[in-house]
Amino acid sequence: MPGSVEWVIWILSLLFEGAVVVCSLRRKSFRRYFFLNLFMLASILVSAGQVRVLTHYGRFSLEYRYFYFYSEALLIIVLYFVLTGLYLKVFEEMRVERYVRLGAVLLLAGTACFTYAVVSQSSHRMLTYFVFELSQNLYFVGLVLTYVLWGAIVKLKETRALVVQFVLSLGVYFSAFAASYAISNLRPDLYSYVYRLFPIIGCLLPLAWAYAIWRVPEDARLAPARLAVAPR
Amino acid sequence: MSRKLSVVLFAMLVLAGAMGLKTAVSAPGNPAVVTATGAPPPGPWK
Repeated sequence: MPGSVEWVIWILSLLFEGAVVVCSLRRKSFRRYFFLNLFMLASILVSAGQVRVLTHYGRFSLEYRYFYFYSEALLIIVLYFVLTGLYLKVFEEMRVERYVRLGAVLLLAGTACFTYAVVSQSSHRMLTYFVFELSQNLYFVGLVLTYVLWGAIVKLKETRALVVQFVLSLGVYFSAFAASYAISNLRPDLYSYVYRLFPIIGCLLPLAWAYAIWRVPEDARLAPARLAVAPR
Repeated sequence: MSRKLSVVLFAMLVLAGAMGLKTAVSAPGNPAVVTATGAPPPGPWK
């Protein structure tokens, strides 16, 4: 069972997720950032379900295990659509929405095919193994896509503060989990400590998004760096 | 190269990069998992 500190972090995370949705509704930007809000709503539902299953069956039960991995896969797929939505925002002036959507579908299908090719060797519990592997693979695809999007933001000199804040916080979130994953693999003996950081890292994304939606106006722009006057 | 082919190439590059990164930081038989919510993981998958 989680300790009192983990419960507090979990409740804070739920509050931040709720704050993102409430602030979006108040600003009337729910539809503008639909997938982002959908992810937060799905996170709240999944967290509530996880608490219910965890308290009822325990952390090492088969029920919690199945619920955990299936719900995580669902959330990572929604997170992938959040990222696609951010791509559409960044590239909206270039009028390439069609190609962004095509790329997103191709990449999702490619990841699913690759995962199927890997897990098809195992005939036992193939669907469950497929769901688990797909969520892990999509996570890394999301990580790479976030860095590519950040490169595009820098290259295109994107100045919309809200979009920049969303992408940066997503990058920190993905990187923190990937770093914890890498540390756990490099030093397996540290995994029992590293996994305790998961709730804190999980809290950061809704906190950053809630702050952005609450404090950053929709039309806020980042001030460009001062131009240097070159001597003739 | 047409835009559609560029999109296909981009998707393949991202997939290859992501799987390469995953392979680079993975170790066989390790219980580590990546999560989307930060909820306490139930332990090793297999």
